[in-house]
Amino acid sequence: MLEYQIFFDYGPMILLGFWLTLKIVVCAIALGIPLGLFLALGRRSNFRIISFISTSFIELFRNTPFIIQVFLFYYVLPFYGLRLSAEYVGILALAAFGSAYFAEIIRAGIDAVPKGQLESARAIGMTDWQAMKNIILPQTISIVLPPLTNQTLTLIKESAVLSTITVHELTMTGLMVQGETFRPFEVFIMVALLYWALNETIATIMRKLEKKFSKDRKKTETTKPTIKNLQRKGL
Amino acid sequence: MKSKFLEIKELNKKFGPINALKNVSLNISKGEVICIIGPSGCGKSTLLRAINWLTPPDSGMVKLEGKIIGSENGKLSIEQSKLLNDFRARMGMVFQQFNVWPHLNVLENVIKAQIVVAKRSREVAEPKAIKILSDVGLKDKIDEWPDNLSGGQKQRLAIARSLAMDPVLMLLDEPTSALDPELVGEVLSVLRNLVNEGMTMLIVTHELGFASKFGDRIVFMDGGEIIEEGAPNIILKSPKTDRLKLFLEKLDITSLKEKH
Repeated sequence: MLEYQIFFDYGPMILLGFWLTLKIVVCAIALGIPLGLFLALGRRSNFRIISFISTSFIELFRNTPFIIQVFLFYYVLPFYGLRLSAEYVGILALAAFGSAYFAEIIRAGIDAVPKGQLESARAIGMTDWQAMKNIILPQTISIVLPPLTNQTLTLIKESAVLSTITVHELTMTGLMVQGETFRPFEVFIMVALLYWALNETIATIMRKLEKKFSKDRKKTETTKPTIKNLQRKGL
Repeated sequence: MKSKFLEIKELNKKFGPINALKNVSLNISKGEVICIIGPSGCGKSTLLRAINWLTPPDSGMVKLEGKIIGSENGKLSIEQSKLLNDFRARMGMVFQQFNVWPHLNVLENVIKAQIVVAKRSREVAEPKAIKILSDVGLKDKIDEWPDNLSGGQKQRLAIARSLAMDPVLMLLDEPTSALDPELVGEVLSVLRNLVNEGMTMLIVTHELGFASKFGDRIVFMDGGEIIEEGAPNIILKSPKTDRLKLFLEKLDITSLKEKH
């Protein structure tokens, strides 16, 4: 039977772990998405060196196991004089891993915008960057939002791997409490529920955002009940 | 130097083994309307795209008012690509597929490049955009999204977007070819107004009626070369080469078929 007392005794401790997971994940995403955007733009750069570095970075982090990347970050960085706490190493590793995937998602989004959009922007005198910023990237938002959400949820779940380098996040806290109480069922139910709640919240927010961005273009249809618009709706 | 407003000299462009442009030279004076005709794949779109370097030519050069657009060897230095953007801003381009920007409403489509490229303030750009949109008959659509416009309206929007940059030259790449027949007229009437205002234009078109009425010169291209050029009534009524004769015959047959 479930021992309910464990929820009360160890709940606060688990919540503390959850709080650290939340902080790490938010930082990793805040770093990872801009880095992913840079990598995506770098990959299609005309400068060979930039596109080579971006491509290598993406392929390296996309094609190796995350846990190995974490170990490399954790054990190799100090060799080069970079002594960071496990939490910061965790944030960096997650951000690097995530950015490789974010970059590929954003690149696919850019590729999905019809070629004529870039051409018309360049033909009117915009530089490549002005065209990207004003014409192409705004159109990719609605395209990349769903896969970006998916990747964010994956990243949150992958953060559990950081328990292997002594980051006291949710999974690590769960393992410790389990060792103390020998009640794995109660403990991991708490842990799983917290991961689920976090991801569900993010998924819901992103669904709302997706709706907002896809609605933007069609809003005049509802504000202007002209005959043409009514016909279009089949009324 | 009236005759040297736009000077195209020995342009060459290859796509793999295909010669899209073969030693194309053409001089255009200010206010002239040139209609380029020819079978599909003859290089007429490539010619337009080579003029503003959307497709960089392999060799040859284009001069606008005596200044070289891009470079002469098909490559660009950083300084040259900066200059190229200035040239492009002064040469409006209209595409067959409109390429209006769907994430911006009609008004913003016409404002955007004014602010980003011409560095105008919104206070200047907005009244200008409204004025041009009413000139092309889209005044009551300024709050609409491009997705809600018909093809003809989209093309008029694309023309307005170019005009807002105060171009000295317009390049139009089959502006009516993607339109339903009943929408062609509204775009042609906008172009007619431009002709009357004295705009210099290069139009790739299949509208021979429009070309003969408003074109100062018709250029017939085939296989990447200019085969014949001259005044519309001469070119269309008494073609010198067999290739042009054949092309005109084919066009006549298809236009007859469409009527029945």
